[in-house]
Amino acid sequence: MLVNSSQIIEALIETIQMVAFSLLFSALLGLPLGVLLVVTRKGHLLENLPVFNVLNAIINIFRSVPFIILMVAIIPLTRLIVGTSIGTAAAVVPLVFYAGPYIARLVENSLLEVDKGVLEAAEAMGATPFQTIFKFLVPEALSSLVLAFTIATIGLVGASAMAGAVGGGGIGDLAITYGYQRFDTITMIITVAILIIIVQGLQSLGNLLSKKIRRR
Amino acid sequence: MNHTKTAKGKNSMIEFQDLSKIYHSGDNPVKALDGINLKINKGEIYGVIGFSGAGKSSLIRCVNFLERPTSGKVIVDGHDLTSLSTKEIRDVKKNIGMIFQHFNLLNSKTVFANVAMPLTLAKVPKDKIRQRVSELLEFVGLADKADSYPDQLSGGQKQRIGIARALATQPSILLCDEATSALDPQTTNSILQLLKKINQDYNITILMITHEMSVIRQICDRVAVMEAGKIIEEGTVFDVFSSPETETAKNFVSTVMHDELPDSIKKALEEHDGLQKVYKINFKGNSTGQPLLSELAKKFDIHFNVLFGNITELQGVPFGNLVVEFQGKQNEIQRALAYIKEKEISVKEVIPHAS
Repeated sequence: MLVNSSQIIEALIETIQMVAFSLLFSALLGLPLGVLLVVTRKGHLLENLPVFNVLNAIINIFRSVPFIILMVAIIPLTRLIVGTSIGTAAAVVPLVFYAGPYIARLVENSLLEVDKGVLEAAEAMGATPFQTIFKFLVPEALSSLVLAFTIATIGLVGASAMAGAVGGGGIGDLAITYGYQRFDTITMIITVAILIIIVQGLQSLGNLLSKKIRRR
Repeated sequence: MNHTKTAKGKNSMIEFQDLSKIYHSGDNPVKALDGINLKINKGEIYGVIGFSGAGKSSLIRCVNFLERPTSGKVIVDGHDLTSLSTKEIRDVKKNIGMIFQHFNLLNSKTVFANVAMPLTLAKVPKDKIRQRVSELLEFVGLADKADSYPDQLSGGQKQRIGIARALATQPSILLCDEATSALDPQTTNSILQLLKKINQDYNITILMITHEMSVIRQICDRVAVMEAGKIIEEGTVFDVFSSPETETAKNFVSTVMHDELPDSIKKALEEHDGLQKVYKINFKGNSTGQPLLSELAKKFDIHFNVLFGNITELQGVPFGNLVVEFQGKQNEIQRALAYIKEKEISVKEVIPHAS
């Protein structure tokens, strides 16, 4: 084996940092976008078709670019924001551009599942659009939103492995540089096993949390 | 005769003036409401009945502007909604509670939080909310369910929560959108009793739409029959039930009044020559108590053969109808008929194919 345990632990911490920060920022981006995608559509709370169509198109464009290309394409922007285009912090920027639109779509899906009748009740009570979103729409979709964010988080774990290509570090980087490129089978197996454990753990946690919210 | 509860006051609470609503979905515009003029008085229970697609749903949604009318006016408690701003309409809505066929409760929130919602939206202080919600849950008989979640409740219980929620802001109008259509007959009865109690205890004006005539019969004071976006018949429940004029109204009435002739009698009418002078006599109110037939038998030279009959009660007023064969000479029968009409009892010859 070409790596020692402290390297693995370091890589694990890097992965966690990358996923955590990119999840935070992409949620901040994706959540409002997802809400906008729902409420601006035809016949909804704040119907605004120009806004809806533009958002829809932009999100589709970002969702069509392969992550590895997106990562390289936005290097100038990454430099502008982080100061460098190499390292864990630099990997967060493309990850956010990758996961943000993805989360927007997932949020949109969850919110569209909410019973229209509940929104009608909100309207009948004289709720403002803001109140309808935060007291009716989001709480009713919460359990489904948790599952959506679980999917997004796992997607980020996978994407963060590719971020190794810009020297992002992390478990995936270890797997590629030692396991794949230097034919170190044991490192490959260990890193993949760690990734499996992370994904399993995240999915179980997400399921548990979602169930707890749904509770019944 | 005056069967209506006009004593409750004549002030109109909801008024529709030339109300029209046109939907532009697809190629052909659909006229859901077509020139509706209707007044609903303060404190009454008003029912609108019609088949699905008749426009009753659009009508009730115009009262709290869940639907905006294409033209015409909606006047609620003196406010012309069509002239108000969005914010002003929101305030008017606090004065209008609404309950729904599928309850529309928040599944993610407890019963307490559901009932508290309109108060939370209005930013009422927490201790006041607590007090009002327990009062309401007590009123609908579900004080022990405060911490339950909606899907732990039965349909009837959910509707009670819906009612408690609708009453939270002490509205003066309650809109019921097919509120009992998803419930079984027994539960329907208990919900209707609750609505009646709300109407009586709090003097809340209730507008309900339904496709079930039995619902109208049980608690409404007045009723409108809708078809193809128009009101085709309107009046007190007693008048519409005792003498429906349009075909649609007759159909609805017959679903609960069972005044249709039994098939065996229809058959006899069609085939048997002896059954020709058959009349349907409707008794209303006081006339129900009169011994009309024996009176007629004494006064005129006629025999009676009672074929079918029933007596029922509408709005606390007895209402009966009898199908009777008159046997006797033509001129005696004519005199008897004139005598009946003098007493303001309605009598109609039963024509075999039409009845």
